[in-house]
Amino acid sequence: MNTNVKTIILVAALAAVAVVAALAKRSDVYLLTLCSVYLMATFGLNLTVGYAGQMSLGQAAFFGIGAYIAALALKAGVPFFVVVLIAAVVCFFVGLALGFPALRVQHHYLAFATLGFNVLVYLIMRNEEKITGGTFGISGIPRPSLLGFSMEGHLAYFYLTFASLIVLAFLLWWLLRSPWGRAFAALRDNPIRAESLGVNITAYTLLAFAIGAACAGIAGVYYASLVEFIEPGPFHFSTSLMMLLAVIVGGSGRFFGPVIGTVIIILLPELLRASNMEALKFMQKWYLVFFGIAVVVLMVWLPGGILSIGDRFRKGGAK
Amino acid sequence: MTPFLEVKDMKKAYGAIKAVDGVSMSVGPGEIVGVIGPNGSGKTTLFNSILGQITPTAGHVEFCGEDVTGMSPLELSRRGVGRTFQTLQVFGKLSVRDNLIVAAQEFKGSLGSRLMAKPDAGLGQHADEMIELFRLKHVAHLYAGTLSYGQQKLIDIAMAFMPAPRLVLLDEPCAGVNPSLVDQLRELLVELNKVQGGSFVVIEHNMDFIMKLCPHVICMVEGKVLAEGPPATVQSNRQVLEAYLGN
Repeated sequence: MNTNVKTIILVAALAAVAVVAALAKRSDVYLLTLCSVYLMATFGLNLTVGYAGQMSLGQAAFFGIGAYIAALALKAGVPFFVVVLIAAVVCFFVGLALGFPALRVQHHYLAFATLGFNVLVYLIMRNEEKITGGTFGISGIPRPSLLGFSMEGHLAYFYLTFASLIVLAFLLWWLLRSPWGRAFAALRDNPIRAESLGVNITAYTLLAFAIGAACAGIAGVYYASLVEFIEPGPFHFSTSLMMLLAVIVGGSGRFFGPVIGTVIIILLPELLRASNMEALKFMQKWYLVFFGIAVVVLMVWLPGGILSIGDRFRKGGAK
Repeated sequence: MTPFLEVKDMKKAYGAIKAVDGVSMSVGPGEIVGVIGPNGSGKTTLFNSILGQITPTAGHVEFCGEDVTGMSPLELSRRGVGRTFQTLQVFGKLSVRDNLIVAAQEFKGSLGSRLMAKPDAGLGQHADEMIELFRLKHVAHLYAGTLSYGQQKLIDIAMAFMPAPRLVLLDEPCAGVNPSLVDQLRELLVELNKVQGGSFVVIEHNMDFIMKLCPHVICMVEGKVLAEGPPATVQSNRQVLEAYLGN
């Protein structure tokens, strides 16, 4: 498929989502917005895990840091996009620090190091009541205005989030298309060889964590404004596992992998739960069981994720 | 002739085992030096000690007059020292062309400028020339990991030469390569030596290959240099025949 056709399909798909949102129920628009928010975080995680090969179970911590920065700053009257920038910068530097263990340990050891970080951040959110409100959380988080237009409405806020997601995805695509993307892949495939070819594996490892973390921080800001109330629960490490699952189910290291994975992780359980067809009524009680079985079957049959389905039938092709 | 690479009294011990035991060698500009020796004679340990992959117990390495002992592989590569490994070391999920581009892109500009650079980092044409030279055009857009061992070996070697290094250390370039490719590989190395003008140090078990390629050969046994000189001299050395060839 040539590039023009791909671009047309992509633009048509984005336009279709925008139209569907305009016609959808309020609860469905909420789900689409939530999907867009999680996609910002999973796009970042895909860079860290899928492209640079650095295991991370700490993405929800950055998501939470972004959300709490947003809650505090937006309530203090800081403009929304300034908050987005602050959250991105703070998470970038915290992610940079979290990248240091990756210079010493890899794979499941690194997974546990990042998981420990997530638990630490979660405990701070839960226990530092003066700042975070503890388990009571922070409520009344405002939604932004843009050029005088209020984004208070659910549809307006969806369009803002969706447009921001497109911008973030474009920036990541551009980054991965640059020589940095190739260096990340070299780091993932063979760090010893990469270093012997002049690839600064220290810099790229830290950058992979920092950029992935910044994306999660940005997602956290949009999340806080979406739900308007935050408490530590959504930033538990189970959310990190869910984000990692989204990346792996869709296709780790494939640009659109997180799109497929996040849609499945966020929307599939809801679709199963809401199914009104007589034959699928049992799903309303058993949807999580069915969802779990579907993920297990998928991982056994397609360990490279849904987007690797083509590779099962075709060997060799890189492009 | 001023030595390009000079190794002085290099030692590497693992407990009581002396893997490299006082090896000294020098390589001149544009020179091709072969290193032979039976398995376990310390050739690869010597390479890894020179290249910063492991820390030597004692000894010095000088490259172009600079003491580079213990420098990291990254620092050495920045100084123009390339290498290949005994086992295949390609980037399996990158295309052949991308493998070659990534092998040289980090030598162009700064980290920041590479973010703003063209996707091929301005190396597309050079990569295509290397692909042509190594006869890999028909597989240029395939994932390197899906190719045959021999083809991956060629990619591995081509990658080492992409940034036009001043010194390349090749660890068993013929290992696992189809005998029909060995002559082609030797011709390629001779051509690259002429075109790029770099110095090579080659570890190899294929005697025919090394004797035809290298004007100077070093034979190592039990971590020490047993003999060195022109191929014919080393080949006829009685101790070499006994220790290495076994007759």
